[in-house]
Amino acid sequence: MISERKRLTLTVNGKNVTAEVDPRMTLAEFLREELDLIGTKVGCNRGECGSCTVVLNGRAVYSCSMLAVEAGGKNVLTVEGLAENGELHPLQEAFIEHDALQCGYCTPGMLMSLTALLMENTQPTEEDIRTAVAGNACRCGCFPNIIRATMAAARKLHDNSEQAKHER
Amino acid sequence: MNDKKLLVKGTVPPPLERELSIVGKPIDRLDGPEKATGKARYSGDLKFTGLLYGKILHCPHPRARILRLDTSRAEALPGVKAILTKDNTAGWSTYWYEIPEPAFAEVLTHEGQEVAAIAAEDVPAAQKAAELIEVEYEVLTPMIDPEQVLSSPPPPLVADEVYPGRELYDRKPFVLQRGDTTKGFEEADVIIEDTYLTPTQYHSTIQTRACIASWDGQCLTIWDAAQGVWNSKLAFAKSLDLDADNVRVIIEYLGGGFGSKGWSQRISYYAAKLSMLTGKPVRMERTRSEEFLLHPHRYECKIQLKIGARKNGKITAIYERALLNVGTAVGKPNYNPNRIIWQTSNLYDCDNTYLVQIGVFTNLQTIGPLRAPFNMPSIYCLETHIDRVAEAVGMDPLDFRLKNYKTHASTHMKPELMEQVMKIPWSNKQLDKCMQQATQSIGWENREAIRRSSDGPKKRGIGMASFIAHQAGGKLPNKAFADVDIHPDGAIHLRIGVVDIGAGQKTIFAMIAAEQLGVRVEDIHVIYGDTEGTRYGPACHSSRVTAEMGPPVLQAAAEARQKLFALAAPILGVDGTRLESNDGKIYVKSDPEKSLSFAEVCKHIDPENPVHGSGSRDSNPDSPLFSSFGAQAAEVEVDTETGEVTIIRMTAAHDFGRAINPKLCISQIIGGIEIGVGYALSEEGVYDAKSGKMLNPNFHQYRLPTSMDMPPIEAYLIESRDPYFAFDARGGAEVTNAPTPAAIANAIHHAIGIWFNELPITPDKILEAIRAKKAER
Repeated sequence: MISERKRLTLTVNGKNVTAEVDPRMTLAEFLREELDLIGTKVGCNRGECGSCTVVLNGRAVYSCSMLAVEAGGKNVLTVEGLAENGELHPLQEAFIEHDALQCGYCTPGMLMSLTALLMENTQPTEEDIRTAVAGNACRCGCFPNIIRATMAAARKLHDNSEQAKHER
Repeated sequence: MNDKKLLVKGTVPPPLERELSIVGKPIDRLDGPEKATGKARYSGDLKFTGLLYGKILHCPHPRARILRLDTSRAEALPGVKAILTKDNTAGWSTYWYEIPEPAFAEVLTHEGQEVAAIAAEDVPAAQKAAELIEVEYEVLTPMIDPEQVLSSPPPPLVADEVYPGRELYDRKPFVLQRGDTTKGFEEADVIIEDTYLTPTQYHSTIQTRACIASWDGQCLTIWDAAQGVWNSKLAFAKSLDLDADNVRVIIEYLGGGFGSKGWSQRISYYAAKLSMLTGKPVRMERTRSEEFLLHPHRYECKIQLKIGARKNGKITAIYERALLNVGTAVGKPNYNPNRIIWQTSNLYDCDNTYLVQIGVFTNLQTIGPLRAPFNMPSIYCLETHIDRVAEAVGMDPLDFRLKNYKTHASTHMKPELMEQVMKIPWSNKQLDKCMQQATQSIGWENREAIRRSSDGPKKRGIGMASFIAHQAGGKLPNKAFADVDIHPDGAIHLRIGVVDIGAGQKTIFAMIAAEQLGVRVEDIHVIYGDTEGTRYGPACHSSRVTAEMGPPVLQAAAEARQKLFALAAPILGVDGTRLESNDGKIYVKSDPEKSLSFAEVCKHIDPENPVHGSGSRDSNPDSPLFSSFGAQAAEVEVDTETGEVTIIRMTAAHDFGRAINPKLCISQIIGGIEIGVGYALSEEGVYDAKSGKMLNPNFHQYRLPTSMDMPPIEAYLIESRDPYFAFDARGGAEVTNAPTPAAIANAIHHAIGIWFNELPITPDKILEAIRAKKAER
């Protein structure tokens, strides 16, 4: 019944990871069970709720709906990789400040969908933000606050990068 | 505040004489960083060595009898450690809202009911074992449609077909009557009558239930996903015949509840029993479809309303018949036989009412509380109907509501009082201000101009609705305790046996304690979500936790502060009564320069005998009545070519007493509106009419509102005094969804001139109604 394990090498949150995995294992299971990156949640396990969203090579993906082996050679960013040197990412700070989370269960997936958005669009409109999290369910009803938080984080990131340009 | 009214036992703390420095401030929730970094570990995220994994075999039929059950092939599967069925658990009951239910039954009364629970070394083995269990069912014709069930003879109550509470409530009308409705309707110039249908609704917490139970030979520890630790602990002890002191329940983080996790549910009992059998920790986690099938969903209702009014807008009579499909509901606490009509009795001033509520037990899954369980169907129907009556007498809907404004309650909430006609004051009521705020902010005066301005296929309209909700708990066992300890190193521990459901309970109780002590919020270490180290606290449901736990937290903190003052007094050379504290300092009221830091005073605490403050909640008095109120308004755009409804924006004004943390209160209003938007426009359980099976147990076909559906929301807190509660915080977060569906439906009517008496108002219903209206012309 147990299939032959496959060797998997990928980058997770900037670190090289090599593991032997069951080829039936999803990326979400691999992150949670093998790497203990439990920030990635599994709310439906069929690509409907978005709580398992991670950023894969710059794009937001449902990690419950792809196999771990499919992520071989790729670059995965999870919620645990957002803060750098103990400093929260501006999106995380804005989520806290604007109370864009309540129970917090959808939050990691929400943050990763928005991280992918901000990677390719530094000045998103409200519509861009709505579209970016259209596949992330939140039952506590945080969407209005999520939109406000993301606008604020985008402004901050943009200001930071403008400032960095000047300093160069 | 007049603290004599504060609902605590024993010494009522004296009021703070200084300005508040923490309560009322919109501070960030304390657990934000853990949640935003993914560090927060929910029950399903915990890791254990030697863990066994559980799976459940569910009955695929809504009503069936087990004729043969054979687990031998499953037991022989390598890795399978234990299997529970009716055959080896006879007489074992699990509990839901204190009502015993058979852990495994022979006659199954709803789809998904548990037939077997398996513990195995890994998930595939447990899953395979479930497939290997052989069950032969006699499939019985399910009872699904309540009106049909009501007109058929009841099924025989055989000993093995258990509907707990059925003999008490099934098909029994509950009536609230006052005055003479015949006379009232005779006096009316207009009478509007219609029947409304409201759907089932599912909590859809993003976290599915997950628990780990671990038995060490003497003590049982359960890391669960439930809204209460203490209610669950006591129920586990009763079910498993354990000393309550040997049961510990831990719930640090909870991924949403909305009522579905009010108490621990069956999977946790199975995990516990399996751990006790195997001696190993057992993990159970539900899949999304299992969540749908076993959710104690919001019941569907058929509500007939008849309201008469004079030309001047005065309501003369109300008749209501509410028929509830309560599925295999358990007993009274879940069913609450008067709670639909309670709202009608108490929202509008009317001398002549005849209100009847009937619950019918069926095989349509299980029902239970879902955020404003009763208010949602009741208020949607009533508040839509009120707009219709206002239209019929030619009055503005806001003016009509103010004209029939109720200044006192007529129906109590206490079971022994509820059938009496009473005249009870409310502790406070700001509904008129809420209605004025919500309508003013939506631009009520431009209502007609906005409607007329849309002459293309997209029509705009504005609508409003108001509501009342029973508030402040008072449910059994109606007690709450809080403890504050202060140690020589300056550590302050607040110990409360409640769960933070995501509404910010950890934060607000830290704020109440910090304000009373005069320290910063971050100085308080909150011990919560654990039965160890805490005393009894209410579960986080019925919007009761702030109302029930706030007063004892205030009392405990005040007592601890007074003990610290006694230590500081000799050092400062004054009497303790002359001291005050704020921002981490204890100082002489008349000379604030004479002060000591908390840390300095704490050094004088006897390490063997830390400073302790204790708080205990008193019961609610019979009078006044505690209710929370609110009003919402919506501007919508209806595309008459596609039937699509877009909510342009919403306004909401709510009366909670006062907010401990306005930021968190506003979030609760926004969250309530989301569930209201779903109930109004997209959410409904769909069932096969013949087999009674659910057809949409997933998020693809059960449509939650998404980021694309949620409007911008302007939310207001209409604050006022309510000295029965800590800093006037009566609470009311749960019920903020109550007026949303009617506000939206009334706006849709305003836009296109069509009333909808069936939720959700989906595009197909809108297009059909537009076609029918055109055909009439």
